Parts: sequence; C-alpha cells; structure tokens
Amino acid sequence: MVLPPLLVVALFVGIPVVSGVLYTLGHFGGLNSVIASIGLHQHPADHWWGTLAAYREVLTSDTFLRSLTVTVEVTLASVVAVFALGLAVALYARMSGGRTARLVTALAVTPLFLPAVIGSYAILTFYAGDGALTTMAHALGWSSAPRLSYTTWGVIVGQVWTNLPFAVLVLTSGLAAVPDALIEAARDAGARPAQVVLRVLLPMTSVPAVITATFTTIAVLGSFTVPYLVGPTAPTMLGVQLANAFQSFNQPQQSLVTAVVVFALASVVGVAYVRSNVRETRRAASVTR
Amino acid sequence: MTAAAVVRRAGGAVLAALLALFILGPLLWLLPHAFADTWRYPDLLPQGWTLRWWTAVADNPDLVAAVRWSFVFAPVVTLLSAVICLPAAYAFARRDFPGRRFFLVALFSVNAFPKIGLYAAMASLFYTLNLMTTFWGVVVVQLLGTVVFMTWLPAAAFAAVPRSLEEAARDAGAGPLTVFWRVTLPLARPGILVALIMSFLAAFDEAQGTLLVGAPTYTTMPTAMYSMVTNYPEGVAAVFSLLLSVPSVLLMLGVRRHIMGGHLAEGFQLR
Repeated sequence: MVLPPLLVVALFVGIPVVSGVLYTLGHFGGLNSVIASIGLHQHPADHWWGTLAAYREVLTSDTFLRSLTVTVEVTLASVVAVFALGLAVALYARMSGGRTARLVTALAVTPLFLPAVIGSYAILTFYAGDGALTTMAHALGWSSAPRLSYTTWGVIVGQVWTNLPFAVLVLTSGLAAVPDALIEAARDAGARPAQVVLRVLLPMTSVPAVITATFTTIAVLGSFTVPYLVGPTAPTMLGVQLANAFQSFNQPQQSLVTAVVVFALASVVGVAYVRSNVRETRRAASVTR
Repeated sequence: MTAAAVVRRAGGAVLAALLALFILGPLLWLLPHAFADTWRYPDLLPQGWTLRWWTAVADNPDLVAAVRWSFVFAPVVTLLSAVICLPAAYAFARRDFPGRRFFLVALFSVNAFPKIGLYAAMASLFYTLNLMTTFWGVVVVQLLGTVVFMTWLPAAAFAAVPRSLEEAARDAGAGPLTVFWRVTLPLARPGILVALIMSFLAAFDEAQGTLLVGAPTYTTMPTAMYSMVTNYPEGVAAVFSLLLSVPSVLLMLGVRRHIMGGHLAEGFQLR
C-alpha cells in the first residue's frame, strides 16, 4: 500500500536527483546524454568519480556568492518576520478568542488560497513607484516615499505574505492544544498575560514552532516566484539564479550545482525538523507509559 | 470594561487593520487597475474608466484556453494523487513496518529540493520517457507537489481515529471493509478534505514545472500569468489576476472551517 507514492517519488524525483548530481560531477552518459548534448560550458569527468570543476566554477563566482548572501539574508529576515507575525496572530487568537480574533486569523490565512504568482504580481503593483503606498504618501505630502518593488526588501515582504498562512495555521493549532485549565491555573496563581505566554503557552508549543521555522526556511530558500517577480534583476536569490543558468544561459550543469547547494542548505534545516519531532515523540511516549 | 480589556480590544483592532492593509491591500489595489483607462501618478484614482481589458482577456483564445486547462489539470491531479497516496496514508497510520519514518521523510524530500532545480534535473528523464509537452507530463509534474500533503495529512487523520471504535464495530460483527467505510473513513474525512484542498491548490498554483513540461501546448493560468506580467499591458494582468482569484476565494469561503481545524498542523507532526 505504501509503494505507489514511493515509486512515483523514486522515479520522478529520486532518479533525476541522483542522475542530476552525477551530471554536476561531469558524468554525461545515460539519462544525462540529452541535457549534456545541448548544454553549454560543461565540465566533463576526469576521474572515475567525476570532477569538482563545475562546483569550483560556481562556488567561486561573484554572482553566486552575492546570490548566496542575499538568499541567506532574505531567508533569515523572512523566517523571523513570518514567525513573529504568525505568533502574534496566533497568540492574539488564543488569548482573546472574539470576533476580531477570528477576523485576524482569517485575514492571515487568505494568501494560502491565492497562487503565489498572483500575490507576487499584486505586491509588485502595490509597492511600485506609482503604487498604492507612494500614491498615498504623496497625497499626505511625502513625495519621495521609497518603493519596495524590484528591491530585496520587496522580496522579504512577498515572502512574509506568501508564507504567513502556514505559520498561522500551525501555531494556532499548537496553541489551541494547550488546555484552558493550565492557563486558568496560571492566572489564578497571579500570572499576568505576558507571564502566561512566556511560561505556559510558548514552552508547550515547541514542536509547532520548529515545524513553522523549518518549513518556512525550506520554502523561502527554494523559492522562485516571489524573488523572480518582485525582486531586483541582480543580485537575485539562488532559485532565480539557477533558473537563469538553466533557461537564459543554457548552462544546466551550473544550474544543478546551485540546486545541490540549495538542497544542502535545506537538508540541514530538514534534519533539525526530523530530530525535534523524533525527540518529542519519544518524550510523549515516555510520559504516557 | 476594565482598562486592560480596552487596551486589548484596541490592540486587536490595530492588528486587524494593519493585517488587512498588508494582506488585502495589494489585491484590492488591482481592482481599479482592471478598469483603469489612463491613470497617471500621483492621482489617487484613474482619470478614466474602461472595460477594454476585460474584453481583451475574453477575446484572447490563449488566455481562455489557459483558464480551461487550469480547471482540467487541478482536479485530475488531485484525484490521481488521492488514488495513489490515500492507501499509503492508511498504511502509514495503521501499520508499523521497518523504515516507516524513513519513508515519510523520503516523501518529504520532494519539498526540500528546490522545485526549479528538480525540474531542471527531471527534464532529461521526461525527454527519455517522451513526457515532454504531453498532458500526462504536466499531470506528473503537478502531482509531485501534492504527494506530501496527500500522504501526511490523511495519515495523521487516520491515526487520530480511536482504535477502540474500530474494534467495537468489529465486535458487533462488521467486516474489515465495513469498519473502514462506516467508522474509519467518516472520522478521518475532515483531514482528508484538507489534504484534497491543499493538493488542489498546489496543482492549481504550480507554474514552473508546467511551463517547462507543458509549454507551448499546455498553458495554465499561473504559467500564462508569467508571460502576462512582462508582455501585456498592466490592465490585462490585473483582470487576469482577479479572475484567477475567484475560484480561490470561493474555495476559501467554503472550506475555511476545515482548514482552520488544526488538521494541517497535526499532519506535519511526524509520528
């Protein structure tokens, strides 16, 4: 029963990834023969295991290093912002629970239902030089208001917009799982709202917090649509960089090297996610035992 | 009302207003663009209004075809994904077999590899299998984005069904299939519904892989949107964005309760 999805993933993801990695090492046979016959500026294998020439070329290039820096910066800033905003919404919903709270949650979840390309285009128009913010600022007498479209700040805004719903959903449900009795007990013992949050709610939502942080990190690291549409032409995030290498420059080998780097960054985060989950499962098992 | 309650209520109103501006502002700003004839900065409203962007979209056969293909691919992909993944989800929830957690993580690795890099790597395989520029090629490429949702979320939903209920039904003489159809499935339904919605949205939203595999024969709304942003007048892109938002908003109004129910978060806790 488990086999069908695993076979689909093994065939259409596993095999291409393995052969893609072999291709980055300079192995041009088998599945890679088509791509190797049309790619430009390739480094063929010179040892039995291959060559690191493509990695050396990509990893030492200025464009790559600038993209890597931007990618790490955007990812860190976006994850912090998504987490903070998501937590504010979730905490507000948990602590107040009225009609405004439901409205706030519904608003925060809205982007989940809209294609990222629509969100990115809307953000691009909204924060443009003739967009809503500059127009309103001008009406209020500030004629030199900055625009965010085609800037790295705009990319961060777009990432927060697209990734907020997942954070809110996961954190809201994590906070909802904390029993009311615990919160009331803390209040009876004289805890102020801030103490309830810091001492009761946050410690009990560590797994949802890890899920939010890791999934947002992985989503932002590998993102394409937001940085492609909203961001500047250069420096771009690695997702755009590898698409450019593949489509515009016809350098599939360099493109896949970049993909491997992004995957390596994402797996570091993925391992943290799996480990925290495993630890939590063990802890839960030992409590119930 | 106490002072603290007033502060909290005001804080809530500010949070709601800022969030509305941040989330809805960009979408609402597209609305006048879809009807604007000429609109010079820094005027707050357009100088003239027109419907010509709407007729431009309606008269463009490529754009109409993109709308149609979007509504063909997303349901086909969602159904196929359900057929492939739901039995696996049940097995992950109910059987303990060696490598169970490893396989769950293996499915997740699809999401950890940058999508665009994955498609670049997949291109060779698609050429070899003659899937390039084919209907099923597009289906496969969109299907990959749904696998994690369609396995993890239903697995958590199945796992949450109390075994005692199933055993009680069995004691009352129900066969395994009856137990599944009458007890397990109804109780797991909300989680499965969330998985179906997430998969539909993932397929509906997929643009990069569809562009690589399907273009120029199979263009969906998001892939058409890419070329529109760069090649068409602003008004046309605004109209198309609004059209693309309609199914999403309808879907959202219909299923918000289920999405908010915590099934999403539950599904992402590896057990």
